[in-house]
Amino acid sequence: MERKTMFLAALYVLLALLDVLSFAEENLRAGATRLDCVRASEQCLKEQACSTKYRTMRQCVSGGKESNFSVVASLEAKDECRSAIDALKQSPLYNCRCKRGMKKEKNCLRIYWGIYQTLQGNDFLEDSPYEPVNSRLSDIFRLAPILGEPAVARENNCLNAAKACNLNDTCKKYRSAYISPCTTRVSTAEVCNKRKCHKALRQFFDKVPPKHSYGMLFCSCPLRDQTACSERRRQTIVPVCSYEEKQKPNCLELQVTCKNNYICRSRLADFFANCQPEPRSLTGCLKENYADCLLAYSGLIGTVMTPNYLRSPKISVSPYCNCSNSGNNKDECDKFTEFFTENTCLRNAIQAFGNGTDVGVWQPMSPVQTTTSTTTPYQRNRERNPNTIDNHINTDPGIYHFCGSLQAQKLKSNSTVDGVFCVDPQIDGPSTSNAILRNSAVSRRPAAAASLLPPLLWLWYCTLHALSSPGDL
Amino acid sequence: ERVSVQSRGCLLKEVHLNVTDLGLGYQTKEELIFRYCSGPCAEAETNYDKILNNLTHNKKLDKDTPSRTCCRPIAFDDDLSFLDDNVVYHTLKKHSARKCGCV
Repeated sequence: MERKTMFLAALYVLLALLDVLSFAEENLRAGATRLDCVRASEQCLKEQACSTKYRTMRQCVSGGKESNFSVVASLEAKDECRSAIDALKQSPLYNCRCKRGMKKEKNCLRIYWGIYQTLQGNDFLEDSPYEPVNSRLSDIFRLAPILGEPAVARENNCLNAAKACNLNDTCKKYRSAYISPCTTRVSTAEVCNKRKCHKALRQFFDKVPPKHSYGMLFCSCPLRDQTACSERRRQTIVPVCSYEEKQKPNCLELQVTCKNNYICRSRLADFFANCQPEPRSLTGCLKENYADCLLAYSGLIGTVMTPNYLRSPKISVSPYCNCSNSGNNKDECDKFTEFFTENTCLRNAIQAFGNGTDVGVWQPMSPVQTTTSTTTPYQRNRERNPNTIDNHINTDPGIYHFCGSLQAQKLKSNSTVDGVFCVDPQIDGPSTSNAILRNSAVSRRPAAAASLLPPLLWLWYCTLHALSSPGDL
Repeated sequence: ERVSVQSRGCLLKEVHLNVTDLGLGYQTKEELIFRYCSGPCAEAETNYDKILNNLTHNKKLDKDTPSRTCCRPIAFDDDLSFLDDNVVYHTLKKHSARKCGCV
């Protein structure tokens, strides 16, 4: 074939391919294949078949209560329940999630937990009902020069963060919106209306941009300073109202109380999923994402499980409870509290934010193989995905990891990523792939035709390989 | 021109202050943006204002001098909370203007 025509033909085909690719990408990034549970249930209720099965399942659950259907009388009913559940696994309800601070969040969580135990089984290690947010600490840093202002090193960072908050209209508004109810005495017996205080605190952390809310909650204080700065940080959430109680309950009892509330249960599951420590990883976190851990931690504030800083030289946090009166469950209770007080992942994340360092979060390759059930390859892949927009992951292993996970994703879901082609590093010359990957680094909107060409050619190259050896996909 | 007319009128202005600058007796290092209303209200005057003006000028009201139209907040900014040096929170209400008008 003549060079020019070949080139034009390639361009034509590849423009179309690029569309498909970016669509698939969008899917991965936004989790477009996964609806929020409110919309998923609406969609299900609109379809005759799905809604029948959904109603049946709900009857099964309410009849059975404990998710195994031993209480349901006849075998026939049992079969019906079983088949309803199997059918629902094909519906959008199966994998639905919720977003923090979304409209109808509580409703969404109610739907999620309503189907969770029946469809997903296993409530030993609960999955987070929240959609991963794909945020990065470094994004928050970049947007937040507050903590990076000159001459800050020896200053009171927590005071600086409070100043910055009051100069921002949104932050100022939501700050006083929680401080007011949290500091207003309602009677001689009660220091405040705790329920209102908690609700306003949740709103503060759901609505105020993290650069401001985190700035106050995770500000760093010099080690020697145990007064002005640390005390201010401890006071951020107005502990006298939001944290302290007349008596310290047992932590496992508190956990039961938490699980009876959809929001608390969800935020706690999110915290356990995103702040899971992992000693073998560089970050100390299983999921290697500090931003998600901080978000999950801040999400607990304003629930009965509200954590706060302890007065100790090292960073240590705990909900307002202890393990006395645990009886046989002392070990379990200790494990629960240590997840707060001795959590290296959380501690590293807080320190990283305070110091403005986000070290090692964006490793191109995962150094840790997931051993627990909290991370699926699918989630993992989506967490990493935003890297590809940026320059962070220009290294070869990174991109190939990305490709690898796309393939894995394809295998797993056998949908959504049709038309994505990846090359094996051995096939492609390292020099070409390097240059091309930098450009293709899968920018959301390739700006000019010139920048389109190299990735297009690369894609075309990939396509040939992919088509000639479909077994590789 | 319209813009210049407006810019001479009653306007919302802002200034960056320390909370201590407010002179309300709080001890804290926190800061705020204070917004206030300022500018002439001549254009907003009604017959009522003209009559009052004439009456005071002609000394028909004995020693009484009723107040005239002035540039004031017609809506207030959100509340402001801050932590003082003794670790006590305070919340200021109606301390800063959001919207101005000749009233």
